[in-house]
Amino acid sequence: MTYPNGTRALDDVDLEIAKASFVFLVGHSGTGKSSLLRLIYRETLPTRGQVEVDGIRVDRLRRSRVPQLRRNLGVVFQDFKLLQDKTVWENVAFALQVTGARTRDVMRQVPRVLDLVGLPHKSRMFPTELSGGEQQRTAIARALVNNPKILLCDEPTGNLDPSNTTEIMELLLRINLKGTTVVVATHNQAVVDRMRRRVVRLEDGRVVADEERGFYFGDRMRAADGLG
Amino acid sequence: MDWGRVRFFLSEVWRNFTRNAAMQITAIGTVAVTVALLGGFLFVRDALGRVGDEMLHQIQISVFLADGTSASAAQAIGAQIGHDPRVLSAQYVPKAAGLHEMRDRLRGQIDTALLTNNPLPDAYRVRLVRPEDVHVVAGAISKIPGVANVTYAQDAVTRALRVGEVLARIGLVVLAVLVIVAAIIISNTIRLTVYARRREIAIMQLVGATNTYIRMPFVCEGLLAGLLGSLLALAVLALAERQLLPKLIAALPFVPLHGAVPNGATLALELLATGAAVGVVGSWISVGRYLRT
Repeated sequence: MTYPNGTRALDDVDLEIAKASFVFLVGHSGTGKSSLLRLIYRETLPTRGQVEVDGIRVDRLRRSRVPQLRRNLGVVFQDFKLLQDKTVWENVAFALQVTGARTRDVMRQVPRVLDLVGLPHKSRMFPTELSGGEQQRTAIARALVNNPKILLCDEPTGNLDPSNTTEIMELLLRINLKGTTVVVATHNQAVVDRMRRRVVRLEDGRVVADEERGFYFGDRMRAADGLG
Repeated sequence: MDWGRVRFFLSEVWRNFTRNAAMQITAIGTVAVTVALLGGFLFVRDALGRVGDEMLHQIQISVFLADGTSASAAQAIGAQIGHDPRVLSAQYVPKAAGLHEMRDRLRGQIDTALLTNNPLPDAYRVRLVRPEDVHVVAGAISKIPGVANVTYAQDAVTRALRVGEVLARIGLVVLAVLVIVAAIIISNTIRLTVYARRREIAIMQLVGATNTYIRMPFVCEGLLAGLLGSLLALAVLALAERQLLPKLIAALPFVPLHGAVPNGATLALELLATGAAVGVVGSWISVGRYLRT
């Protein structure tokens, strides 16, 4: 996958992510983690190759079908992307309201996800009144309110302190246990090494390691230990 | 009907409309100025057209009959002229009446007593339904047997017709330019409001809102700005009609202006519709550009 400015972001990536699994994408900044996620929610298109999500060829998806795809995907970012002039409740409800959901469903789904992320008592607060962890939990609630099968997280803990990071990761695990596929792009070594999930390591746009129950520096650590 | 949905939509439109108040005021002002200019221009064009029409309608064809045409033959010719559907009226002027008129017209300029024997033939004075037909009708009448001569103010007619055409054409161009300028300014203004809300749009796209849905509030904003702007313009125009028009009529007695703008209600509706259309089109285009990138 090459960007219009000529930067080759991903090269010869062949990756399959199983339903209901939990996957870390790791690597330095600029190694293609975000590009890989963007291909999945069709923010960008591959220059060559195929992207398939839940049986749908995303690279061939008609423009008018993109909203439908996005409703089945939740996306969470490092900077939360919350609307500052809306309350927690309104931010979460927004995702349903702008996709034409019925008021009845809004009234049912918003409390459900706020409960899930542990923020029912903060629903009337504005993002500026929340901690970073709470803001990210709001963003996760918004990503989940459409009941997506897949949750994509791009550096979800990049702006958070260690204790908030742990909370968010535990939340993501809980979500995964309910059957949602969770893909987390991160360069937080401590988190990855503690959680021992599948780790896909990218370097210069290529997959250089892919291990179940891996470490952040999986291969190298073992090479150093003489296990490789 | 899901009232919660309607309320959400309307509250979004209203929230954005009030949040970008400065830009909305710019857009409304632009529409107001454009529509006011448009209205004023339409009025001037209408007035000028009226002057031209009045001039044209005073044009008549003088049809002189051959000397010695009998009264019954003259009547037959008159009937034949009047038969043409393009002819509004044909007034018979016997030679005696013609002389009388001529005396009246020339009194004081020459000694009318010198006109002892009547040099004038019997004549018809023909008025037309549409002044544009004057050449054709005059030609047709001149071919009627017993008609000696046909005269009309040929140059004046041609010129009046040409001036009318040119005015109409210039008018169209000015109108088009005004409307396009307004649409561009509105679309730029709305582009600023779109830019101010780019985060919100990005989130909407992320969670799977359709482009139509994203576009809708902006188009409604454009509609609102267009309507408010043209209402403002209508208020200004109504004020001008009440305050300025009587003075104008007093100052220009020879111009056949009316006491009120003709078809005021229709014109107001048209201006309102123009303002609304300009707002909708302008916002549609500017959001569309943003959504495609």
